[in-house]
Amino acid sequence: MSTERAAGGSNYEYVIARVRSRRAALFDDDDYRKLVRMGPGEIARFMEESEYESEMNALGARHSGVDLIEYALNRNVAKHFDDLLQWADGRLYDYVARYIRKFDVWNVKTIIRGLYTGTDATGVETDLIRAGEFDDAFLDQLLNAGSIEELVELLEPTRFGDLLADAYAVYEDEGVLVPLENALDRAFYEELLTGLSGEQSRAMELYVEFLSAEVDFRNLRNAFRLARSGSDLDPSEYYIDGGKLFDEDEIRQLARSRDQLVEFVRSSKYGEDLEVGLDSLETADSLIEFEQALDAALLEYSGQLSNRYPLSICPVLAYVLAKEREVDNIRAIARGREGGLSTEDIENELVVL
Amino acid sequence: MIDTFTAVLTALGPVLQDGGAQTIEQAPAIPPQAAAALAVGLAAFGAGYAERGIGAAAVGAIAEDDDMFGRGLILTVLPETLVILALVVVFIAG
Repeated sequence: MSTERAAGGSNYEYVIARVRSRRAALFDDDDYRKLVRMGPGEIARFMEESEYESEMNALGARHSGVDLIEYALNRNVAKHFDDLLQWADGRLYDYVARYIRKFDVWNVKTIIRGLYTGTDATGVETDLIRAGEFDDAFLDQLLNAGSIEELVELLEPTRFGDLLADAYAVYEDEGVLVPLENALDRAFYEELLTGLSGEQSRAMELYVEFLSAEVDFRNLRNAFRLARSGSDLDPSEYYIDGGKLFDEDEIRQLARSRDQLVEFVRSSKYGEDLEVGLDSLETADSLIEFEQALDAALLEYSGQLSNRYPLSICPVLAYVLAKEREVDNIRAIARGREGGLSTEDIENELVVL
Repeated sequence: MIDTFTAVLTALGPVLQDGGAQTIEQAPAIPPQAAAALAVGLAAFGAGYAERGIGAAAVGAIAEDDDMFGRGLILTVLPETLVILALVVVFIAG
């Protein structure tokens, strides 16, 4: 499918005009300020009058409360990202599709967890985000898999097949889902930056620059978590190839000591963007704030790149990131309100630029 | 760079003029009116290429928001001014 679409030129102008318009329609600071003070019912009503109207109406009869919000968010994300794939042609399609495969990973993970806990297929189905490259028929097939083994077999011909089959052996020995989920994540991130056609173009450079920043941040997050927990897990096991910040050996050394890691990040090219987060990490020893700073820095970096190179893949990926953030934020607000968190606590959870 | 370029031009100038003087009896390969027509055609080609990108972006914007129709239309036809300016050549050469 992708090879067929990838023939011919890219239509950056069209896609980016639409993406920019949609990005402008995302919730802004004011909307969040209002949302944080609302209860789940009010949030649902607020969403009904916004971008999410059609999803809220479609799902309103079947679900209610926070579940309704969550399913509406999932459906909306799927709709928008499917649209992206529909608009894009040529190389642009290829770049977008590679990134959107993130949702294939999400869906497979959800199904695995569903099978692990013995949830029935309809329950799992509502949690799927039907974006990504797997089509509906294949997803339904996956949903109806009777066991994890069957699922792994079904996924054999896909790009996740090999790594997943290896991880399944470990899963059978240990009985925990971690190896399977790690295998999926690694398959996704490694596919992102490897196997790109050898083409030397500006678009390719930008794509690589953008994604290596994301891979770097993901590695950073893992390294900090390991350094904090002080566990003796081998950090290189979780290392994702393709980043520019550090290689496998460096991370193995750095993950032993948090101070060294902080120093290392401070002197890297992301140092300036992450300064606030690093400071709070040193003083308050709070990983949450640092991770939020990472998210915000990535979002800001993506915004910068998309302003600097308006006719490239960057605005599209920046939109995808911003949309994901919005969904995470709304979900955090809704769940936070439901759980009775205070307004300040919820605000701390949000990543807003 | 520019120096050498002008040096070459000043050296070539008389030669070209001489050549022109010798073949003054023959009709030029491209008569002035045909050259003007070519100029307009090329300008239109350029305008068309410029409009391709702008038009694609404009349609994208209109698809998201109907109010953009007027603005999109104006921006799309802006490169048309190229062709109008190129038409001046027709009156000069014709």
